[in-house]
This record gives sequence, structure tokens and C-alpha cells, in this order.
Amino acid sequence: MAYYNLNDALKRKEEHEQAERAGHADEGMHLDDVTRVKVLSPGRQVVKRFMRNRLAIFGLCVLIFMFVFCFAGPLFYPYGQTEVFYEYDTMSVDYALASRNTSYTGYTVDESVEIERNVASAMNTNIKAMEADGLETMNVSGSDGTLYSIDRLGEGVYTLSRHQAERICTVGVSTVHIGLIDTITGEMTYGDVDSLGSGFESAAAAACTGLEGEFSYNGATYTFEREAGRRYNIYLTNEGITYFGTAIGGEFEDALYAAIDAGEELFELPDPDAEPVELTEEQIAAGETAETPMIEFTVHADSNGNYSVYRLTETDTGMVYTLFSLDTYETGLQVSNEFRVNALLAAYGSGSFTADGESYTVEALDGGQDGLLIRDVSGNEYAEFTTFVIRRYDGTDTMSYNLKGDIRDAIIAMTEAGQMNTAIVSQVPQQNEQGGYVTDENGNAVLNDTELRITQRNTGEYVINCDQITFLIDLYADPSAEHPLGTDGDGFDVLSRVMYGGRISLMVGFVVVILEILLGVIMGGLAGYYGKWVDNLIMRLVDIFYCLPMMPIMIILGALMDALRMDTYIRLMIMMAALGIMGWAGIARLVRGQILSLREQEFMVATEATGIRVKDRIFRHLVPNVMPQLIVIATLNIGSIIITESTLSFLGLGVKHPLATWGTIINSVSSATMMQEYPFIWIPVGLLICLTVIAFNFVGDGLRDAYDPKAKN
Amino acid sequence: MLKYTTKRLLYSIIILFFVMFIIYTLMYSMPNNYIEQKARELASKPGAGKSYTEWLADLNAQYGMDKGLVAGYFTWIGSALRGEWGDSWVWTIPVTEEFHNTVWYSFALGLVSFILQIIIAIPLGIAAARKQYGFTDYFTSVVSMICISMPTFFLATVLKYIFAVKLGWLDISGMQSRDYMYLSDFGKFLDVAEHFIMPAITLTVISIGSLMRFTRTNMLEVLNSDYIRTARAKGVPEKQVINRHAFRNTFIPLVTTLGGSLPGLFSGALITETLFSIRGIGYASYESMVQGDIPFIMFYLAFISILTLLGNLITDLLYAAVDPRVRLS
Repeated sequence: MAYYNLNDALKRKEEHEQAERAGHADEGMHLDDVTRVKVLSPGRQVVKRFMRNRLAIFGLCVLIFMFVFCFAGPLFYPYGQTEVFYEYDTMSVDYALASRNTSYTGYTVDESVEIERNVASAMNTNIKAMEADGLETMNVSGSDGTLYSIDRLGEGVYTLSRHQAERICTVGVSTVHIGLIDTITGEMTYGDVDSLGSGFESAAAAACTGLEGEFSYNGATYTFEREAGRRYNIYLTNEGITYFGTAIGGEFEDALYAAIDAGEELFELPDPDAEPVELTEEQIAAGETAETPMIEFTVHADSNGNYSVYRLTETDTGMVYTLFSLDTYETGLQVSNEFRVNALLAAYGSGSFTADGESYTVEALDGGQDGLLIRDVSGNEYAEFTTFVIRRYDGTDTMSYNLKGDIRDAIIAMTEAGQMNTAIVSQVPQQNEQGGYVTDENGNAVLNDTELRITQRNTGEYVINCDQITFLIDLYADPSAEHPLGTDGDGFDVLSRVMYGGRISLMVGFVVVILEILLGVIMGGLAGYYGKWVDNLIMRLVDIFYCLPMMPIMIILGALMDALRMDTYIRLMIMMAALGIMGWAGIARLVRGQILSLREQEFMVATEATGIRVKDRIFRHLVPNVMPQLIVIATLNIGSIIITESTLSFLGLGVKHPLATWGTIINSVSSATMMQEYPFIWIPVGLLICLTVIAFNFVGDGLRDAYDPKAKN
Repeated sequence: MLKYTTKRLLYSIIILFFVMFIIYTLMYSMPNNYIEQKARELASKPGAGKSYTEWLADLNAQYGMDKGLVAGYFTWIGSALRGEWGDSWVWTIPVTEEFHNTVWYSFALGLVSFILQIIIAIPLGIAAARKQYGFTDYFTSVVSMICISMPTFFLATVLKYIFAVKLGWLDISGMQSRDYMYLSDFGKFLDVAEHFIMPAITLTVISIGSLMRFTRTNMLEVLNSDYIRTARAKGVPEKQVINRHAFRNTFIPLVTTLGGSLPGLFSGALITETLFSIRGIGYASYESMVQGDIPFIMFYLAFISILTLLGNLITDLLYAAVDPRVRLS
């Protein structure tokens, strides 16, 4: 008995097998039994044939692995594709900078003493001049004629004081601003001089007309010059002595000229206003003579060759200038300005000072050549002024006193030996693995011996290098448990980039193929079904697109998008669209060919007879029959698209940083040295590309063989 | 035959017309500021020869970039037919001169790999077909698949890594050694040949796979045909069956495809030449493309389009010439 219904046959076969499994299959099969023949549906037949192809199965396994790896992998892998990794590593860093102070730094002693900025900024020059001439004191004048004096206290310490001096007169050719007169009201505002009386004023008011001119009064010639309207400035140009107050005359002028001739800066005169000092009898008995109170005058030459004469009274110290910089014994101790200033002032004087309520002693070592040593009340060393500034490279003063001392000694020894670099071992704060500083239970920094390398720069500074643990981007790390494929030149984890890159590569392949198929099926379907001029037109278009050189056009597009600085995601879209548009021609040709042969078959006549719409006839009856070939060609095309995409990315014209693709990963290490140093980056990625493309090709071949064993490859 | 050839030729010219129109449109739609920026860069280079405005004026005169799309296209066709291709922006010499300087290197490279490809792939393909599903067949299938799937740049990188970096036998890229100028003529030839080794291997490997598969399938088809069965049935020795009856028939598709790829020998290997810095036309055009050298790009694209069409034409004509059964119509 034969079953001609397939379902019945299968059902019977199943019953038979169940009986066999139950162990009571006693009835043998008949020769004409349908169940003897294995009946497979067309789909299962294809699957069976496909499964028989070992290469295709291998390809399928590889593809499944790739998809899981690229699409599921990142879900379980802890790192992102643009996650930068850092590490703590020992690196020779610029640890500190030492320089010998060559310029003087000023500290304010008394804020109430006004110091002109010009004077303060010229201090370094003036001090240099004093050092060169070996002067102990020097007078300088500000632009307004105020007199300042610079005094050397000792090695490396100078004070700048402002004289409370009264300017008596000038000697030489000088122009004195008499005042401003309003010729209408006759009011006179006096400038540098005291009132000259109403006679002068009326004479001036009468004389001042026009823009400028001169007039004489009382034997002196005055010049005037219009300021605005009817107001005139009156000047007196004098040769000889011009007094600013009342003229002293006589004895004073003689003494003045004598001093100028002798080149002396100081001269004295008895004070005419002072009360004569009365001596006690004991003093007379001791042989003392009465001292006449004297007035001190100073003659100060200005830059025009004129002299100003001042009557000296007192000076106020405003600033103290020093070559030294302060290093405290306790690391990083902040010291008040008062401390500094008082210490400097006391260094060559009393030797003790108080600051901030504490008292200290200060002593100059070797006359100041080796700096100033400051001790606190109990005699412990507290701080030191030295000519060496040693600071951390970032400018902070956080180095310990001992370390500074070691470096200083090493530099001195080095310069004496005439060398440009040297190395010492000293105690540097110890670092832990995270680059922080280790402290003991009392919170003090733990020190360990570190080699310090000192180099003199051309600028005269000394750079101190030593190995420090620094927080670095982990570039090109070797493969490790943390990063199975290491890290790349941006500190990205290569394995995660490979996963994300695979996503993009596979995605590009699929999107482009889908686009190609969409275009190809529509165009090919239309051409094949309608024939005639539609066919002709579309096939000529296919010919044209077949002839278009794809790679050059993609390269031009890439270069163009480079120039336009396009966003990398937009680039990706444009690239996919361009690849799809240039790849549809082959598929259209295939679809058209198939449809031309299918069109003549009976089932198409049937569709026509049943009056199915044209659209449905093409896309529901013709195209599904082309599906097997389409699937095959799509699979094979994905491989070549992946190659094209990775080539473009390798050339830097495809997908751009920071998006990863397999091509860019290889590109990042394509130079000769990189290639040699980091094969663990590019070899796995290259193999991955090959493997994926091979797998697609194997699967495509396998599918073709399975669909149509007689088909030509 | 003559009629068919003429017809095909005319037809090819029409296709070329439209292909070039698409390419011209691509060039035409380059943003203005991009072209100007390129021209400015060019003018500021030492030895540029022309000023920025002169370069742009030349471009406009020969390539009609200042006119409308269609009018500009006809301007370009006009100057192209007159042979006025303009001066290359990147190489600062006339486009045709640069073409002459480079094309023969490309041809030499292409020819060497073409010959190697034939010598290696065809015997292997035939051997695979003779023992279908045997070890040789599987081996060649896998090898040809690997060759097809190998991206050029990866293969080139691997070769460089092995031969240049690890073994140090060859230079990593370039076409001449440092002491090239001091060599004798023959020495110079050997030096260049040595630099062609890796590019030739690359080109051969990537093209070998498809030819191998092509040979195998065609051979299989022939071996399954009736006349081979007849020959075997009447007792012709297997050697003679393969060499005389089967191979001759496999020859037809082989000759047609190989003949069709002959013009391609001139088109240069864009990627390979670039990777190995071989100063062939592929490298020259790559540099031009990346640097927006419109005159050279247009020339190169027109050139390879012509080569492609020529290849198709040769294939069709050869098919008729080799196989007398084919009637051209």
C-alpha cells in the first residue's frame, strides 16, 4: 500500500520510528514502502546540502562567532571604544629647577612710605652700579625731584629710603614754573615758588598777550606761554642758583660751589636758627667744646648736568632689597613679610629681631657670602637666606630643606668642577603606586634615596630630573590580563576597539548590500518585466554604472569629506550610500536575466490570467524566485564591501577617529617602526578581516551549491 | 564583424560620454572654497610656476568649472578632444607628461604580476578540477578563497613586516635605493626590479584566487561534457583527454577574459602602488585624488574608463575569434 500524500507518509514514518524506539518493531519494511524513501521539503534539501559542505559550515561558525563577538561582546566587555586608559609609571620628570639669584627682590618695609615706581624698578640697575663702584650709599632722585637713598646693609641686602628732604635750590640752567596767571582777573596761582608780590602780578598781567613772549621784572626775564584763553603760564629761566623758598645767600652759596667743585655730595653749615648749646661745667672741665648745631645739605646731580640742593633731615626706609631667597627648615612653611623684612634688616645690625610675636636671631654666614642663618628662640635653626632658589618645577616651594641643601652643594661642586651636569643621590619623598606621597603614622613624609640628575641649561638655570611615578596615558601597552590586545596610540583598549570596529564593518557590509539589493531588484525587475525601451534604458544605465571606477571615486569622496571636515557619522552614512549606489548594477543585471527567463513560464501566464496587479506580479511572484541567487550574491558582496571599507579606512579616507573600524586600527600602526613594535595590534585585526571575508565567501559558495548544485561558480 | 565592432565602438563611446558626465558632475560639485583652497596651497608651494589666479583661470579655461554643468562639460570634452588636459596641480607639469612619466612603471608591474598570475593560477586550477573533491581541490579552493579575501593593505603590511622589517631583505617602500645614482645602468635596472618584488607579489596574490577558481569551474564544466565522456569511453589516454580535449576547450573562456584584462595592465594598481610608493600612475592618481588635483583626476578617470570599455570590447571580439560557434550580431 502506498501513500501518496507526503504528510501521511511522514506521519506513518514517525509512527514506525516510535514503535522501533519502543522496541516492538517487528514488521519489516516493504520494498514499495514510501517511508523507505527520505522525503525532504525543498528548504530542508538546501539545508542538508549546505550542511554537507564542510567549508560552508566552517564559514558559518566563523560568522556566528564574529557576530556574537562584535555585537554581544561589547555588552560584556567592560571598556568602551573611546575609553582612555591611564597608568602609573616611572618616568624621568623635571623635578625641580634651581637658579642662582642674580636680581634683587624688594620687600616692603613700611607701606606708608611712598616710593615712586620708576625708582623701585631701577633698583637692580642702581644696586649693580653701587656694587661696581663699591659705594655704601647712593642718592637717586625721582622724576618729581624727591630724593631717595639706597644704602647697603651688607652682602646682598640693600634698603631704599625716601628722604624727607627739603629742596632748597637748583644750580645751573633751570626753568622754574612761577605760576599761572589769569590776565582778566589778575589772579595768580603760584607754582614752584612762593608769592612774588602784587607788583609782579600786575606787571605779568599787563605783559602777557599773544601766544608767548617774555617780560622783565626786577631785573629778571620771565617767559610766558598761553595755556588756554587768557591764562598764561609764567616761567623763569635762570642761570645760577634758583631758590625755591627764601634765598639763603652768602655763606651757603660759597659752600655750595665749593662742594660742587670738589665733587662732594655733602656739605654742612651752622644752623643760624638753632639755639647755641650751653655746656655744663663738667663738660667744659672734660675739655669738650660746644658743637654748633649744623644743617646738612646734599648736592644731587641730575641727568641734565644741573644740581639740586637738598637740606637733609631724616630718611624713611620704604623697601628692603635682597639677593637672597628664604628657605625654611620646616618644609613648605609660610613666612610672613614682616619676618622676612625684619630678618633682613637685622642681619647686619643687631642680629636679633621679632616677627609675629616671636623673637629670632639672625647671623650672616661668612659675611653674607653663604647666606643668612635664622634661629628661633631656643637656638634651633629655623630658616636660611641663600642666593640659590630651588623650587619644584611647577614653582611651588615644597621641597625639604635637606634636599635643597644637597642640590645646592651639588651644583656648587659641579660649577667649581666646570661641568654641565652631575648626579647625586638624595632623600626624596617616596611615592606609592598611584603617584601619591607616602606618609608614616605621624603624617610625616617617608623619604627614600633617589637619583637626581642635575643639568645646567644654557639659560644658567639648573634642572633637576629624577624618576617619579606619574599618571600617564597608557599608550601602546603590551597585551595583559587587563587589555588582552594591549592599548593603542590613544590609550584605547584594542580589544574593545576591535569589537566596535567589527560592528561598524559588519554593519556597513549589511547596509550597503541591502541598499544594493533594493536598487538592483527594483531596476532589474522593471527592466526584466517591461522589456523594450525600459529595459534598454535601464540596461544602458547599468552599463554606465558598471564602468564607473569605484575605488577612485570613493577616494575622491573621502578626500573631499576630509577637506570639508565632516562629522565622522555623516561620513559613514555618505560612504555607505555611495557604495550602495555604485554596486547595484551587477544585481540589476542578475535580476533582469532571471526575470527574462521566468517571465515566459506558465505561472506567470497564470498570474496574468488571474489579473494580478503588475506590481504584485513583479515583486511577489517574480522576485521571490530570484531570492536564492540574491542571497548568494549578497553574501559574497558583503565580503568585498568589508574589504573596500577597511581599505578606505586604512587609507584614512573612510571612517574617522574616534570611531573604530578594522581598517583604522591597522592604519594607526602602519609606519615601519610601529609595525615592528606593535604587531599585537595589527596582526589580529588583519586576520579578523581576512577571516570574516573568507567566512562570507565560504557561506556564499556553500549557499550557491546548495541552492543549485549544477550552477557555474 | 566590422559592422559589429563599429557598433560596439560607437556604443562604448556613448557609455563613456555618460560615465565622464557623472565624473564631471562629481568634480563640478566640489565646493568652491575647496578648489580655491587647493589652488592657493598650490600657488604658495615652491616651484608652483603659476599664481593662484592663473591656476584657477587655467582650470576654468580647460575644465569649464565657471560655466553651467552641461556647458562646462562640453567645454571639457572640447579641450579633452584637442588633447589639452592642462597642468597637474600636484605635479605642476602637464598632465600628459606626468602620465608618460608614470604609466610604464605601472605597465611593467602589471605585466609581471599578470604573467605570474597565469603561470601559477591556470595549472593549479586545472589540477584542482582533475581531482574534484580531492585534496588538491580543497587545498586550491581554500588558498584561492584566502587570496580573494585578503585585503591588499593587510597583505602589503604583512609582506613589509616579513621581508623589510624582520628579514631586512628589501626596502619597505619606494622605487630606488639610496645609492641609485651611483649605480650602472644594469645596476639601476636591478635596483628598481628589487623594489618591484613586493608589489608584484601583492598584486599576484590578490588576483590569483579568482583566476584559479575561474579555471577550475570552466575545466569542470568541460570535463563533465559529453565529448569528454566519449573520448574516455573510446579509450583515449587520460593525459591526452585532459591536455588535448579538455584544456583546449577551457582555453576559450580563459583567453577571452585574459584578453579583456590586457588594457587593465595600463591602469595601474591604485592601492598597491600607493602602499609601496611605486611612482606608477596609480600612485600619481592617488596623490592627485587626495590633494584635489582636478586636471589629473579627470584625465586618470577618463583613461581607466576607456580601458574598462576597451577590455569589454576585446573580450567580446576575442570570444568570437576564438570560438567559431559564436556568431556576432
